[in-house]
Amino acid sequence: MTPRCAIVGAGLGGFVAYAMLRHGGLEPGEIAVFGEDPDPAAAWRVRAAAIRQRRMRSESDGHCFPTTFPGLAAREAARRRTLSPLVLSVCDRYRPSVEEFLRHVDELRDRCRWDESFREARIERVRGVTGGFELDGHAVVRHALLALGHPGLALPTELEADARVVHAYEPHEYGSKVAVIGAGMAAATEWRNALDAGAEVVSVRRREPARRPLNVPRPLFSKRGLASFRAAPRPRRVELLRDFSAPSYPPGREWDAPLERAAREGRFSVRPAVNGADQIICATGFRRGFRHDPLLSRLVEEHGLETEERWIVLADDCTVPELSGGGRTLALAGVPSQWAYPAADTLVGMKYASRRFLQLVQRCPTR
Amino acid sequence: MSYTLRGRLESRLAAALLPFAVACGLAAVLGEWWPLQLAAAMIGVGLALDATLYHRLLPYQPGWAALPLGLLELGLTVALVWRFDVGAPLEPALWFFAGSWLLAQVLAHAGLPLLRLTYTDDGGELGRGGRALSAVAPATLLLILGVAWAGQPPTVRLGAGVHEGPLVLDRAQRLFGEPGAIVRGGIRIEADDVTVRNVTVFGGEIGIEVRDSENVLLDRVRIAGASMDGISARRSSLTIRDCKVDSPSVAGAQGIDISFAMTLAPSLVERCDVRGGAEGIVSHLANVAFRENRVTGTALRGIAVTEMSMGEVEHNVVEDAVGVGIFCSDYSHCAISENSVSGTRVDPSGNPTRAGHGIVSYFGAVAELDDNQLDREAAAFINGRFERP
Repeated sequence: MTPRCAIVGAGLGGFVAYAMLRHGGLEPGEIAVFGEDPDPAAAWRVRAAAIRQRRMRSESDGHCFPTTFPGLAAREAARRRTLSPLVLSVCDRYRPSVEEFLRHVDELRDRCRWDESFREARIERVRGVTGGFELDGHAVVRHALLALGHPGLALPTELEADARVVHAYEPHEYGSKVAVIGAGMAAATEWRNALDAGAEVVSVRRREPARRPLNVPRPLFSKRGLASFRAAPRPRRVELLRDFSAPSYPPGREWDAPLERAAREGRFSVRPAVNGADQIICATGFRRGFRHDPLLSRLVEEHGLETEERWIVLADDCTVPELSGGGRTLALAGVPSQWAYPAADTLVGMKYASRRFLQLVQRCPTR
Repeated sequence: MSYTLRGRLESRLAAALLPFAVACGLAAVLGEWWPLQLAAAMIGVGLALDATLYHRLLPYQPGWAALPLGLLELGLTVALVWRFDVGAPLEPALWFFAGSWLLAQVLAHAGLPLLRLTYTDDGGELGRGGRALSAVAPATLLLILGVAWAGQPPTVRLGAGVHEGPLVLDRAQRLFGEPGAIVRGGIRIEADDVTVRNVTVFGGEIGIEVRDSENVLLDRVRIAGASMDGISARRSSLTIRDCKVDSPSVAGAQGIDISFAMTLAPSLVERCDVRGGAEGIVSHLANVAFRENRVTGTALRGIAVTEMSMGEVEHNVVEDAVGVGIFCSDYSHCAISENSVSGTRVDPSGNPTRAGHGIVSYFGAVAELDDNQLDREAAAFINGRFERP
């Protein structure tokens, strides 16, 4: 069967979109997923293991299933026959374990027959053609969703050549004097990891991290917060997106207490610069902006897509306006779709883009 | 969840559909309006809070907030029900509210997100279905309320001052007295579905006389100066609440008398203050419940359930009665529990059945006693007996 839809990117973003299309009634033969690893959690798994992540930052809704309910809390409650995950969830205190999260990915992968649609190929160019999109010689489809993920790890340029440097998301052990650069979730996790490993830790940061439970304020996950975000003039919208991208990690004693204890013991301090550490862990996240992604950069250039600083300007439904309509759809999911949905790099954000994509595919008379 | 205003209202209406249908069914089966009135109060309170309070104060609503918000809504619904005198029985009404609340939670967290993929993204909005609901709901509500209003008996308001009686109420109506409204010469009720509220009745042979009438409510009435009974009901079913009756010290005068109504729905007398008279509260051949009343200074008996009546006598206070405090007689069956009887005095007639007993079971009557406070003992005569749990 010739695929009618394509998902470019076989990570979690692509996986969420695939599960959504399957839920919407598309058969595996109607969807082609292009990627380099058939395990949708492959890249994520490596990063989570690198920072020794045990719990997700996301809550019960942070899953890949197409419907919000049942979430991970309800599933864990049913599996373990206990109400505690549900009680924690209604109090916004439920954080699924990484193990629980990966279990559901494996389960869903089998159930939605992901492997039947997976095609091992690296797509480096997407080109709009009459009635659809040509995917680097592999297929021509009417509807394509680009779920490309982050365009690589970010390292401060002045430290790129430093032999002591390792990125937090790369496998590593801990030295005796560790400087952790950054102030987001990965940095906060690394402070604790290094302290647990007996290291002396210096937090190097340019600004104090924001403390919030999720990546962005909660109203921004739904239409309520999105309405005011989208109504903002472009410069303000850019400013807001920058604010949302600033490092943050959740509030709570479980984060603060180990640091306070270590500070009293003289093993944790905050400094403006790296100084005398035998290991430098860059918890500096990912490169930001479409220009770091060759496929997106080329797409913008070849089709003259509208951009605003590092963001591609998208419609509210995460589609590329210049290349959508008239029976074809090009949509972005994951971090490149932040212009439409600030929390686009979360699982909920990926689902947001996927649901809109599914609606457009379903509405298309020829699919 | 972060609801939009539209999302809140549409979700509320969607969750109200089933309770509303149940209320319609109940109203049809029971032949009463209270289920619909209760549902309307509940839905109205919810919608009003959504529009005026919740949307402004809760840009994000955590799951646990449903509980305190539910209690707030319950409190306001109860207040509304009291304010508008919705005759909803408390326990079923609470179950109805609790069931509706639970259904709303299940729908918000599970049902609606399953039915509509973008439910949470859209802040609770339901798309075309929601818009249809929003259009139909006000029309339906207006229709129901209109029918309910049209079906209500007329209300007559008595202004402050003295109104010459006797007043005869021979059709369904509500007679509401303004503060200071007095009827001189008594009221006679001869129709079903009559409510008399906040009226003082002075003089006449009988203060309020109820004859062959059902679904009568006497609420906050005050009777004084009648030459015989304060309230006398025959072949009627009624509720008397929060009344005050001063009876004369003449033979045969009764504070409240409910008689000859064995085949009718039970009558209830509660939270009344009855003073003087031969008998304070009495039933003959009737199903009755006497609760939380205070009866003082009677010359024959404080409370009497007689002549094959079936009665519950609970949480009453009987003081300074001559002869008998609580009397169960003539093959009546009485459940007498948690009453306080004190100061009962011996009748000078020398009749041993009137020797100042706290409770008497007489002539084949069966009285179940439970946890009564008596300063004089209970006694049984002529095949009367007591049962204790």
